[in-house]
Amino acid sequence: MNAHQTLPADDAKPAYNYAYLDEQTKRMIRRALLKAVAVPGYQVPFGSREMPLARGWGTGGIQVTAAIIGPDDTLKVIDQGADDTTNAVSIRRFFERTADARTTEATEEATIIQTRHRIPEAPLKAGQIMVYQVPTPEPLRRLEPREAETRKMHAWAEYGLMQVKLYENIARFGEVTTTYDYPVMVNGRYVMAPSPIPKFDNPKMHMSPALQLFGAGREKRIYALPPHTSVKSLDFDDHPFRIQSWNEPCGLCGATDSYLDEVVTDDKGGRMFVCSDSHHCETRREAGHRGAMLADASALHLVEEVKS
Amino acid sequence: MTVHVSPPEANLDPEPLLSVAGISRFYGERIGCQDVSFDLWPGEVLGIVGESGSGKSTLLRCLAGIDRPDEGEVLFRGSGQPLDIYSVAEQERRRLMRTAWGIVHQNPRDGLRMDVSAGGNVGERLMDRGDRHYGKIRERALDWLQRVEIAENRIDDRPRQFSGGMQQRLQIARVLVSEPRLVFMDEPTGGLDVSVQARLLDLLRVLVRDLGLAAIIVTHDLAVARLLTDRLMVMKDGRVVEQGLTDQVLDDPHHAYTQLLTSAVLSV
Amino acid sequence: MTTMIHVENVAKHFTLHNQGGVRLPVFDNVNFSVAAGEALVLAGASGAGKSSLLRILYGNYRPSAGHIHITHAGRQIDIVSAVPRTVLDIRRRTLGFVSQFLRVIPRISALDIVRDPLLARGVDAVEAGERAKAMLARLNLPERLWNLAPATFSGGEQQRVNIARSFVDPSPILLIDEPTASLDAANRDVVVALIAEARAKGSAIVGIFHDEAVREAVATRYLDITDFRKAA
Repeated sequence: MNAHQTLPADDAKPAYNYAYLDEQTKRMIRRALLKAVAVPGYQVPFGSREMPLARGWGTGGIQVTAAIIGPDDTLKVIDQGADDTTNAVSIRRFFERTADARTTEATEEATIIQTRHRIPEAPLKAGQIMVYQVPTPEPLRRLEPREAETRKMHAWAEYGLMQVKLYENIARFGEVTTTYDYPVMVNGRYVMAPSPIPKFDNPKMHMSPALQLFGAGREKRIYALPPHTSVKSLDFDDHPFRIQSWNEPCGLCGATDSYLDEVVTDDKGGRMFVCSDSHHCETRREAGHRGAMLADASALHLVEEVKS
Repeated sequence: MTVHVSPPEANLDPEPLLSVAGISRFYGERIGCQDVSFDLWPGEVLGIVGESGSGKSTLLRCLAGIDRPDEGEVLFRGSGQPLDIYSVAEQERRRLMRTAWGIVHQNPRDGLRMDVSAGGNVGERLMDRGDRHYGKIRERALDWLQRVEIAENRIDDRPRQFSGGMQQRLQIARVLVSEPRLVFMDEPTGGLDVSVQARLLDLLRVLVRDLGLAAIIVTHDLAVARLLTDRLMVMKDGRVVEQGLTDQVLDDPHHAYTQLLTSAVLSV
Repeated sequence: MTTMIHVENVAKHFTLHNQGGVRLPVFDNVNFSVAAGEALVLAGASGAGKSSLLRILYGNYRPSAGHIHITHAGRQIDIVSAVPRTVLDIRRRTLGFVSQFLRVIPRISALDIVRDPLLARGVDAVEAGERAKAMLARLNLPERLWNLAPATFSGGEQQRVNIARSFVDPSPILLIDEPTASLDAANRDVVVALIAEARAKGSAIVGIFHDEAVREAVATRYLDITDFRKAA
């Protein structure tokens, strides 16, 4: 035992730095973020760190959040649009413990929203920061496997190949069948992968007043959309970009303009379509909106008893 | 009588499309090609012949912007200012290779995207240059498939479902759709059956003439050179040993090596 | 009349590098001129170098010495020293070569072969087609063959396609090598008439004719190659 070291007492908190990452690492990530903000859509390499959860569970997003969060922030974490899924709960708890962060499920209260699959239905506001967990930052990767080549393609805006991918979709299926991670042109310059959000959410990125940050832990890339940045989904003049739509409203809250998930309710073929944004759905129900299947769902204890 | 040698006729283009000066490429001690110079004029088809290892493919790679030569320069006059293709930025060179130039590889796999449909392969250069109208891109692709004699109903098939000859024709359509001014071909009929070769050669001959293309064709097949080219350069050990009009070089070869080459064929 | 070809001190020998460098002299110090409207017939025994001389005039063989000035588009150009594209331009517009062999191009119909030189000189497609058909008819090529590629034609049929191509729009200079070799008497007479017509229109003609009667009918002048052979 070395005399210079002292063991923490049993009841002491773990000797982690604030928000888990050491200050040097945070500085490095912030420098990458600043560069990313300065060149919207450009993928900035960064030194991705080991995190206390497996890669592929959002380590890129967590590192970005850890680098920007402070004691005054309020954090919301969503996974598949929901605040109450395992991953969302784990990440929220992680920052509650390491950064003493206030957390919330309310979109409008949050200053930082970390997400994997969705952009909340409630419009984002100036001052808010979206942090996306990105599994595959390179939109050209499946078309061109060589990293050196994709970098050149970005550098010189050689994006014909990206368009070929959309062409192939239309030729084969009559329409562009890509429904999530749908490539976008940022600020008229860089083609960017918007992480696996549904293309339904693509228009929300366009000219958003919020700052949007993207972190890919395994691929070690950070990119960003500063507020009020043009984000255009790639398309053809005669096959314009279109978002998904549904034939029925949300079964719980009756919303007709939100992204719906299909939920199987029994083993007899019963199912319903409900808002994927759980907070949005609850808020609407609290405001008195009623979906056609709300009573059934309550009876099955799929949703909490609704206050009326 | 008074005799004066006239300069090139007024109806011919005043400036060469491609000026090649002193191109050399070495691989350590070994010579790839050495001190090759020539001018290529709009609409001219130049053949480079020689046996395997004579340096003709090395030279083509240097000319086509694929492999930087150790010495010499390649000047391209596409529009306006002559462009030294190895001193311009790589971006400009790549742009050139996708628009004003075309390369037809011996192996179609090197020139095609095998998991993209025929239509997508042909349309890529159009999309590269910014075309964003699906219907028009498809229309041009169909037009080009027809010109290279590929049935319309194959437009959505992938190249791996095509025969070797069809793949090669598809590669040619993919290159020519952007209406390049200069096309490089490396053994374009290599690896094809004789009957398939004849069809491809005829197609190339017609396209080159109709489009007024300048082309540089590397081949070891003197019959191919006879049918497609106006001029010939004969290469041996990395050097050009004889050049001139194709029929001159083949019918009245002066260099010992050319005489050997031409006498080694049954009838060209 | 305008001098169309002016041959100056032309010599030719072949060096066969792969047969011990043996040097085969053909002729030396050839000098002559041909004017528009003339028909110069090359004479001399078989092997005297008549065909070689004709090929040199066409720019196909390269002479070992001398110059050949061709009047092309109103100017005289030395075809020996001209760059390839100039030679090709001369051939396209001024210099035609009529041989007994047709270089068959796969899949091109007889009619297209004959029409091609007209199109290349800017004649419109309809008129070119009409003139091509008239020429094939005149040479008695059966109409059922017109739209077929000549690869499968008989020697005589191919030759007539070739002659039709050469005479559909005769060049200012016509170099003719044994055009009637495998033709019957009727078609031979057509060829003789075509040559006379071309000459009347001002073409300068240099030819080799094996057939005595054809030679007599065509020639305005003779040149015996054997004279130059002695010197070589």
